[in-house]
Amino acid sequence: MNGNAEGPVTGSTVRERLDLNSMFTTLLVLLPFFCVCLLLRMFLLAAVFPVVGFALLVLARPMHRRRPDAAFVAFAAAGSLLVLFLILPILNLLLTTDPSRIVAMARDKEVDAAIGITLSTAMIATMLALAAGVPLGYVLAREQFPGKPIVEGIIDMPVVVPHTIAGIALLFIFGRGGVLGAPIHTYFGILLTDTFWGIVLAMLFVSIPFVVNLSRDGFMSVDPRMEYVARSLGASPISAFLRVTIPLTWRSLLSGAIMAWARAISEFGSIAVIAYYPKTINTLLFEWYNFFGYTYTKPLAALLLIVALAIFIILRTVARTKRTVHTQFQA
Amino acid sequence: MIRLEGVSREWPEFAIRDVTLEVRDGEYLIIVGPTGAGKTLLLELILGIHHPDKGRIFLDGVDVTDTRPEKRGIGMVYQDYLLFPHLDVTRNMAFGLRYQRNSATENESRVQRTAKLLGIDHLLHRYPSTMSGGEKQRAAIGRALVTEPRVLLLDEPLSALDRRNARRLRKEIQNLHRTQNLTIVHVTHDLAEARAFGGNIALINEGRLKALGNAEDMLRRPSTVFAANFFGCVNIFEAQRSVGSAWVQSGPLTARCDGGGASSFHIVVHPDEVMLLPHTVEDRPNRLRGAVSSLTDEGSYVSVAIDVDGLGDSIVVYTNRHTVSSLGLAPGSPVAADAGENLHVVAE
Repeated sequence: MNGNAEGPVTGSTVRERLDLNSMFTTLLVLLPFFCVCLLLRMFLLAAVFPVVGFALLVLARPMHRRRPDAAFVAFAAAGSLLVLFLILPILNLLLTTDPSRIVAMARDKEVDAAIGITLSTAMIATMLALAAGVPLGYVLAREQFPGKPIVEGIIDMPVVVPHTIAGIALLFIFGRGGVLGAPIHTYFGILLTDTFWGIVLAMLFVSIPFVVNLSRDGFMSVDPRMEYVARSLGASPISAFLRVTIPLTWRSLLSGAIMAWARAISEFGSIAVIAYYPKTINTLLFEWYNFFGYTYTKPLAALLLIVALAIFIILRTVARTKRTVHTQFQA
Repeated sequence: MIRLEGVSREWPEFAIRDVTLEVRDGEYLIIVGPTGAGKTLLLELILGIHHPDKGRIFLDGVDVTDTRPEKRGIGMVYQDYLLFPHLDVTRNMAFGLRYQRNSATENESRVQRTAKLLGIDHLLHRYPSTMSGGEKQRAAIGRALVTEPRVLLLDEPLSALDRRNARRLRKEIQNLHRTQNLTIVHVTHDLAEARAFGGNIALINEGRLKALGNAEDMLRRPSTVFAANFFGCVNIFEAQRSVGSAWVQSGPLTARCDGGGASSFHIVVHPDEVMLLPHTVEDRPNRLRGAVSSLTDEGSYVSVAIDVDGLGDSIVVYTNRHTVSSLGLAPGSPVAADAGENLHVVAE
């Protein structure tokens, strides 16, 4: 006996349309939002989601001609809890803060300076990570050499090292009396503690794995024989790389850059150790929270969240946009 | 002209060992061998992607062993086309022209001419993702040809195509070879493909060149048992030579052999070179007697397996339906099989 036995052809239309796809959408996307709105006592908004869900179930064209499977529905329901856990704090922050206070916050000079510092240091750190990480990613994708797993392990290390420890370790090397910090200060006049470049340094340390790993994965997805063909047609290795490999991997490289940049922006631990000043948004938030408490900090947190999400969503969309394939069919 | 002299290269899982080979201008050389024999790597050595550990590679008499692939002027076409997916056919084909000092009009007319030659001039603005396998392979060949390479290397160019398209493209490649006077090295694991192209065949196994010769010789008179097996000979019998004799023998089969210093002998009988006769015929040399063990209708011919008396082995004979019915052949029925002079001795 299987599920088909009790579901005759004459089943109701709604039941027929209860395909896996809309079930998943309803459970995984709409249910968490519904719960968030209930928890935040926005009952009118909450009512929207059941309506949308029902409309989806009734109107959506079924994509899978499969009967909803109890196990899958249970998985989706469990998954919706996870989604709820992720969006609840974010939405709470955004929806329960007075917009006028967010706008006021955006006009604050100290806040503007912190945002400027954060965005520019993160941008520079990402550029540096790309400049060194993309070539390394290419080498790791194309070459086999003894000790390669060690190199890959080292690259992943910043992900697992607690960031305050990373900051302290960096401080010993790049600090005023550090093995590299001292000569850099003497010969280039650049001080890396409590300066703009100190922030860049800390951000670079934590964002490198994303650039290297994502560019490596991107390069691995390009058949090396594609480059051989380019070589056979007269292209030098550099030319083949620029005309074939890069156009086929720029999406991965951009993803790597976005992840690195996002990671750099959200870094706090190592920055607080190596360069507490000039203040980044995280240091500013931390300080305000310590001195003025939760309520005072909330609009600032909401503002920064909006800025970060907006940039992240824009870049993400760019990275995802599919290349339009121009096709000319002969009439 | 390509000449390889003792080319060797070791990889962790593959190797090319001491390959010496010459491809004359305008020649069509087919390299065959089982999967994993190192055929593609041999092409990539010629192309210059890999550097040999030992040996030299000459192109038109010039040592190019240390020349980079982009300076060799060798075209390469892979089984899976490898068209650049971000470029349309025109830009794929024009890819290599950027590295040549031609005028823009010259480049454009070359692309047009080559596309016309391959029958893809209506696809010039299409992207690879919208094209069929045959179209893609034509575009890939066009991309290589448009740069007017000295040699064209084809790595299993027909393997990804269905049978009808493969046959069409095969004829077109043969045409191109004739009309454009191309020098082509073509790798395949498909015997039927090798046979259909004719020309010369090089047999590679485990990185070594096992045999080289024209298709007819290779298929009819294989020089090693490995070659005989690889080329699908089904009747290979171990044979003995008595000391000082010019004849080798395997049961009732005897054949002349000139192989002086050889130590092992095999007699090869091609299944389509044996005549089936009623079992009542008189005895003659190389006329075998036995009982039919199985009959298989292969469509255009019938394959008859016969347990041969005194051979301790069975022989496979290809015949036609008419012979089967006129001799009244059925499993178990007695029959005579006359191989006459059509025996080939493999002496190693």
